[in-house]
Amino acid sequence: MVEANKEIKEGIWSWAKFLRKGIGYFAFALHRLTGIVILFYLYLHYTVLSNLLRGQASYNAIVRSITYGPYDSFLVLDFLLALVIFYHGANGVRLALNEFGIGLNHNKALFYTFEIIAMILLGIFDYYALQFVGVGF
Amino acid sequence: MGAKTEMRYGSLSRFFQAITGLFIIFFLGVHLFAAHINFGHPVAFFNSVLLQLRDPWWFAFFLIFVYVITYHGINGLKNLIDDTSISVRAKRRIGIILYIIYFITIIYGTILTILVVQIPVPS
Repeated sequence: MVEANKEIKEGIWSWAKFLRKGIGYFAFALHRLTGIVILFYLYLHYTVLSNLLRGQASYNAIVRSITYGPYDSFLVLDFLLALVIFYHGANGVRLALNEFGIGLNHNKALFYTFEIIAMILLGIFDYYALQFVGVGF
Repeated sequence: MGAKTEMRYGSLSRFFQAITGLFIIFFLGVHLFAAHINFGHPVAFFNSVLLQLRDPWWFAFFLIFVYVITYHGINGLKNLIDDTSISVRAKRRIGIILYIIYFITIIYGTILTILVVQIPVPS
């Protein structure tokens, strides 16, 4: 709460100043930044889905082009997006529990616990995702 | 009185943000499996999407998903703007604009889904 009040006075540029502010501030700033990225992607996703109205050939061509992209660069973006979503989700669960009065005195431990669980799940998700692109393990 | 109402509203907004966030964990898990893994390709193709949306349960699932995730995103952005140092008047105006964007999005999403369901599945 103190961190949030201080942030109001300093403006949103203070988000980038992580030094000497502790893990709580890092979690707070990164949660918001990842939220903006996900919201941008959500509307991008709706735009792609809107192409369903253009018919089978057109939609499938778009799906093929956005899956891999030039030099497989979109796959890298997909993995970064998955990282952003899993981070935001894990920290979001902690914040939701806080909202219901759970874990208020163990925020740091909960942050690390949920993030470790999320990163393990991300690893599993990436493993299955890589099977599609022919990178078998 | 005004401050009290704003505080209550703020708490309610944060409460809904938490509730929708927890729902999204479930929705997103099902969505990632159903639309991005179960088809053997990272993104479902035209026929797969059409066939899935013809099932009334999936139709309802995706529609509710759009309503909830868009609310969470827009409300999250509103909470973020509320925490900045801009004037209360500007915050209120931006808040109204964001909720208009929310309603336009869900109306568009609903119309799009209904139109997509009516497309005949190519053989």
